[in-house]
Amino acid sequence: MSDAIAPASPRPQARTGWFLNPYFQIFIGALCTTAGEMLFKKGANASHAGEGVAGLIGVTPLLSAWTWLGVIVYVISLVSWLHVLRFLPLSIAFPLINAVHVLVPVGSMIFLHEKVSLGRWAGIVITLCGILMLITPLVRAEEKL
Amino acid sequence: MSAVTVALCIICQLFLVVGQLYFKHAMSPRTPQPRSAMFRNIAMGIVLQAIWFFLWLGLLQHNDLSKIFPFEGFNPALLVLCAAILLKERIPAGAWLGIAVLCFGLVIVSAS
Repeated sequence: MSDAIAPASPRPQARTGWFLNPYFQIFIGALCTTAGEMLFKKGANASHAGEGVAGLIGVTPLLSAWTWLGVIVYVISLVSWLHVLRFLPLSIAFPLINAVHVLVPVGSMIFLHEKVSLGRWAGIVITLCGILMLITPLVRAEEKL
Repeated sequence: MSAVTVALCIICQLFLVVGQLYFKHAMSPRTPQPRSAMFRNIAMGIVLQAIWFFLWLGLLQHNDLSKIFPFEGFNPALLVLCAAILLKERIPAGAWLGIAVLCFGLVIVSAS
């Protein structure tokens, strides 16, 4: 039976072509997360922000189609991430998906016309270094939680 | 960026992370559970992630995306801290250093 010659590896191997290749899906997931965040921001900008405590909760962005488009794109990124984790260990997938920390500010500059100062970029790069230093303990925590 | 905004950014991430943990437990084949417990975990996950979603949209209404998105980087730190608190895991020195670097980066971002 084919089961008898199954590989010892606990993870299934992706043999499903380039589109379902986990590395390609990380790329798609990072793009979708970036697009989703920018669509949320567009929805937030298109809506009226409340004042005081009411302003803490953003319900009015639900009136904007941008927000709903963002939700759809965000769900796609989630499905893509779950697919990636079936085929790649978190210790490889997690550092790669953190490309979003560069893609989101770049996207914010291009599509949302935000000014990202040199100081903010420095902070983002330092934050990214901190994230990457947490890979090993994160993988341990993920396994046990 | 006000202290309240910084606090909200972090609280918001906490809802996201704990919500994810509830989903994970609902789906985990490692922890056999009755159907009612599974549905309770899914419901908790949905409630917590909904709170994250509306807090995040509220933050986006008042702040630049490029300014508050780096706070998503606090996510892995929160997971490590959750493991330490819930499972009494010891946090290695390297991880504390990583968390310190992360916080330093976020202080610079919030001042920008």
